[in-house]
Amino acid sequence: MDSQHPLISVENITKTYHLGEVKVPALNGVSLQIERGEFVIITGRNGSGKSTLLRQLGLLDRPDTGTIRLQDEEVTSMNEKQRAALRLRKLGYIFQEYALIAELSAVENVMLPAMLLEPISICRPRAIELLHKVGLKNKMNNLPRQLSGGEQQKVAIARALINHPTVLFADEPTANLDSIAARDVLEVFQRLNQHEQATIVMITHEEEETAYGHRIITLADGKRL
Amino acid sequence: MRPELKIPFILAWKHLLRSNKWTLSLIIFFMSIAFINMIFVPSLFNGIIEGFNYQIINASTGNIFITPQNGQDYISNSSAAITAIEETSGVTAASPQISVPGILKYDGRRGSWSVYAINPTKEKRVTVVSQKMIAGSYLDASDTDQIILGKGITGTGSKEDEINPFDLRGVQVGDTVIFSVNGTDTPLIVKGIFNTKFDNTDNNAFISQETLKKINPLYVDDATRISVKISKTGEESDIIQKLEKRNIPGNIYSWEQASSLMSSISDSFLSINVILSIVGTLIAAITIFIVIYIDISSRRQEIGILRAIGIKPYLIRAMYIILSAVYSVAGVILGTGLFFAIIVPYFNFHPFALPIADATLVVGAGDFIARMETLIWVAIIAGLLPAVFITRIKLLQAIWGGK
Repeated sequence: MDSQHPLISVENITKTYHLGEVKVPALNGVSLQIERGEFVIITGRNGSGKSTLLRQLGLLDRPDTGTIRLQDEEVTSMNEKQRAALRLRKLGYIFQEYALIAELSAVENVMLPAMLLEPISICRPRAIELLHKVGLKNKMNNLPRQLSGGEQQKVAIARALINHPTVLFADEPTANLDSIAARDVLEVFQRLNQHEQATIVMITHEEEETAYGHRIITLADGKRL
Repeated sequence: MRPELKIPFILAWKHLLRSNKWTLSLIIFFMSIAFINMIFVPSLFNGIIEGFNYQIINASTGNIFITPQNGQDYISNSSAAITAIEETSGVTAASPQISVPGILKYDGRRGSWSVYAINPTKEKRVTVVSQKMIAGSYLDASDTDQIILGKGITGTGSKEDEINPFDLRGVQVGDTVIFSVNGTDTPLIVKGIFNTKFDNTDNNAFISQETLKKINPLYVDDATRISVKISKTGEESDIIQKLEKRNIPGNIYSWEQASSLMSSISDSFLSINVILSIVGTLIAAITIFIVIYIDISSRRQEIGILRAIGIKPYLIRAMYIILSAVYSVAGVILGTGLFFAIIVPYFNFHPFALPIADATLVVGAGDFIARMETLIWVAIIAGLLPAVFITRIKLLQAIWGGK
């Protein structure tokens, strides 16, 4: 791994969605770089292209043009199998809607990505440790429906961390939470960033949440301001 | 084993364990109905064919049927033939019958019905006529002026009788009918009326050999046919070979050869069975496809999330293959239970009443296993198709729908 290069390097990416005959430009030539250990906040109004950008960075979608490099490796032209492997091993993604598997308990949800790579005997203790870190050790056997929104989001954070990702992406992780639960979640991010040097890229449009980041990237109409 | 290979099993197991129990029960119930649908029709056809076979063997020809040699009208010296037949291993009993051409008359009505002279004791051991008396009683060997009539001769009591000018409508046990042979009338008392439900037999009347001797003092030990009962149905050809070695004086046929009706019925049912089996399989496939498709569609976002965290599509498809297999195996088990615990006993008590036999449901082991395998494979394919479809759509579309 070359520490001279940024962790993520985005060059002039564009993305246009097609709604029937109508073309909706979502990203219009965005470039940025993210260094290791950074806590980057992406903000902007609704429709500014924040979530679209994060999905390109998280390899959930492909830009129409431009390139994205992760650890100096060009990832936009990779096939779906390679991208799935990267998502599994290097990226953690936290969805706004928690996105837990309803039939799996908290600990099972957390260990699921790790079970693809390691035996259960190894990944289960790590999942328990992560739930401990996010303050849910005593609820590890609860199903998602038995957890509050904030607790579910913490399970999603623990799941995103289970394979020691290089970078953590969070798409408005507090949008569905009350202010106390939101603060809890943000503090988990802050601890991960400060104590474990986790690289975090988080979307928010709450002004007060931008204070948690080192750097703010603001988007408007698919462009950086 | 690669660690990822356990994922489909774990996800499928957790899904079965923790998903909505009503939904799970409903899916398995649909599977069981699909399975019952697949086995009901062949079982019914088996039952009908078996009912026909039973009737032919037990109410008409016996397992083996012997007719006079070509160019002969009678099997002469039938007593010796009967002795030789009954000495053959595997033979339970043999009964000689002699056709007595004549006309039966009663109360101004007359008909040329088939009348056979029998040895009542031997006949009792070969056919079920003696057990199917609906009025009066069966013949005794010593009877000299009595006759038993099939229900086809006495009239069935249905509207169809109105168009049959030849039945002896109204005749009852104890009445006297006139049996006219070569212009000589012999009064015979109706000793009993039988109903085997097999038309060929119910259109016959039986008298004892003693009665025939009274009608025709010139009667010697002849037979126009011999019916043979064997101890194990299915071994007819072996026993026919043995009888042929004993030089039994006659043409020897199995009951299947003797009844062309049976083979034409079997052939027709085979064709219908194939068509209905294909339709049943298609219905099962479509039902299972819809059930799995609805199940998968309701979990589209979850499947998208699984893909988003790096679970390869083939693992997700494998999970649905496992689920489909479990659903179908559970459906087969439940369907088998319902079929054998409720449906088969119901039709044993309330058989389908057909003109020549009562049909119950008879499940052939081969049919049963073939349909069980078919359902499981159909379920796996029907479950795999929507899983392939859902894992091929764009990741974002799977998670968020729309764009």
